[in-house]
Amino acid sequence: MENKRLDEIISNENSRLEDIGYGGLPSCGNFLVMDASVLESMYAVDGLEVIPIFDAIEKYPRVREKLYFNLVDKNKSEYTRLASEAKPVGYYIRVEPGIKIDEPVQAAFMLGSTGSTQVIHNIIDLGQGSTLNILNGCTTSCQVFQGRHIGITEVYIAEGASLSYTMLHNWGENIEVYPVTGIRVDKDARFVSNYAAMTSVKKLVAYPTAWVEAGGSARFHSIIYSKNNSFFDMGARAVLEGEDSGAEIISRVVSEAGIVISRQMIEGKRPGCKGHMECSGLLLDENAVIHTIPELKGSHPDINLSHEAAVGRISSKELSYLMSRGLTEEEARSLIIRGFLDIGIEGIPPRIHDIIEDTIKKSVKGSV
Amino acid sequence: MSLLDIKGLNVSAGGHEILKGIDFSIEEGRTTVIFGPNGSGKSTLMGAILGLPGITVTSGTIVFKGRDITDLPVHERARMGIGLAFQYPPAVKGVRLSTLLDNIKDNDNFDLHVYSEMLNMDQYLDRDINLGFSGGERKRSEILQLMVQRPDLLLLDEPESGVDIENISIISKALSLILEKDKPLRKRRRSAIIITHTGYILDYIRADTACVIVGGYILGCGSPSEILAEIREKGYSQCMECYKDMVRGDTGGEQET
Repeated sequence: MENKRLDEIISNENSRLEDIGYGGLPSCGNFLVMDASVLESMYAVDGLEVIPIFDAIEKYPRVREKLYFNLVDKNKSEYTRLASEAKPVGYYIRVEPGIKIDEPVQAAFMLGSTGSTQVIHNIIDLGQGSTLNILNGCTTSCQVFQGRHIGITEVYIAEGASLSYTMLHNWGENIEVYPVTGIRVDKDARFVSNYAAMTSVKKLVAYPTAWVEAGGSARFHSIIYSKNNSFFDMGARAVLEGEDSGAEIISRVVSEAGIVISRQMIEGKRPGCKGHMECSGLLLDENAVIHTIPELKGSHPDINLSHEAAVGRISSKELSYLMSRGLTEEEARSLIIRGFLDIGIEGIPPRIHDIIEDTIKKSVKGSV
Repeated sequence: MSLLDIKGLNVSAGGHEILKGIDFSIEEGRTTVIFGPNGSGKSTLMGAILGLPGITVTSGTIVFKGRDITDLPVHERARMGIGLAFQYPPAVKGVRLSTLLDNIKDNDNFDLHVYSEMLNMDQYLDRDINLGFSGGERKRSEILQLMVQRPDLLLLDEPESGVDIENISIISKALSLILEKDKPLRKRRRSAIIITHTGYILDYIRADTACVIVGGYILGCGSPSEILAEIREKGYSQCMECYKDMVRGDTGGEQET
């Protein structure tokens, strides 16, 4: 561990790291990567392991043979191929069966050099009946204005286990981001994904997929605030493979500029599957585009899948109603936008919830 | 000096002239009730006083606390002390009632819990404003907002419409508290203009004056009990006759009812 360099980076990049919640909370483990260098990798709870993926591949045949590039196809795209050819950089997080941990593992991935491509591969491996919260943040160094981030994430949640996975993206106007994520949710296991992207990005393309076994559930909650010339092609897909499995996808998009494509899909294959999605978009300017694509696919008659989708502007009636109470137009718009983005995420620690709330407040305050 | 003084007010909405030559004033501490049939311009008058969008003053002036507010934006009028309880308040999805109350309170010198308990609104504070609220809940939410906003002039647009007797009683008690009805007249500081079709609210809140609006004209003002008795006996038909005479004569001013 390069302690001196770590201290220097944390000191120099303090505000950037704070914006993605890194270092600001009590945690049971930390993992920090700058470009391709692992600067911090520690854990402090029995039954938890947070180590670099490269070490895990060396140490555990199971990781090498059964987890690494198992849920994500190496040949899926040029980005997965690039990741498969590079020396793996990222974390391997393992929780032993039955271990329940309240305090989150915090991880941050920072792009530190202009013009570079950062390639990350993370694996999360939760044992039977275990519980974990992970707070991930991705950002750039304050001097980086252009670059590319490719992130492969494979998540394995064993029977009866529960993972709350929060991702805050804080990129820049000339950064391209290509996350590819696969999640295996075993019998009676639970997966909750909370995603927030509140700053400009050149291009961000992500379509995580969860395969859910009997009695399991996957929930994807995402909030996106698009500015400048951002291009987001974001979504989530849940494949309900087991009986009585469930999924919920909730997406809220606010756009003052740029293009946001919001794709969601729930596929029900077995009896008793339930799924619901809500995709809502708020357009703040005539130059903004929001394209929502909700998809439902049922292949068994005894399933219940539904969706709601809406794209529109702030209601003038709501605006004047709030203004009639003494709020300026700016204050009223801010309140409505913050309320729109508040999707009442359940099941995440209050401290992580506070970070997301702060991110929304800062972003809306600076934009309205 | 009047708290509110309106002179020669002509107002249009949706491309139609709605109010015609309105002269109206209200003193500090007084309550005026406004009667009138559907479409007579009562709500438009309140919207014009508060400056709601879509309502255009084409001529005349509105003076509040000695200041001409005719061209002021709605939020500035609200901050000066005008508060409206809407007849049909919209739902604001995503914004909790408690969040709005936090944003509009003028100080911390009150106990929200006491107010919300008085209006049976405790359990609604963490819900989105008016979303899924019944008619009575919406009315109680409006009055709770006014209790926190503490305006000097309350505009109450049909506070009893669509509300059962129990809710009218709850709302009226809260309004009496805001309007300091327990104090002698000379010590009351807050004023109210109340629109009502039925007059039921007068069983609970004492008004000092009543005015009748028909066809965009104020036909006259007088004793609330006498005017209400007359309307209950004869309906608005007699007023309508009066209005027809006015249009023919194009007087544009006040007439005795």
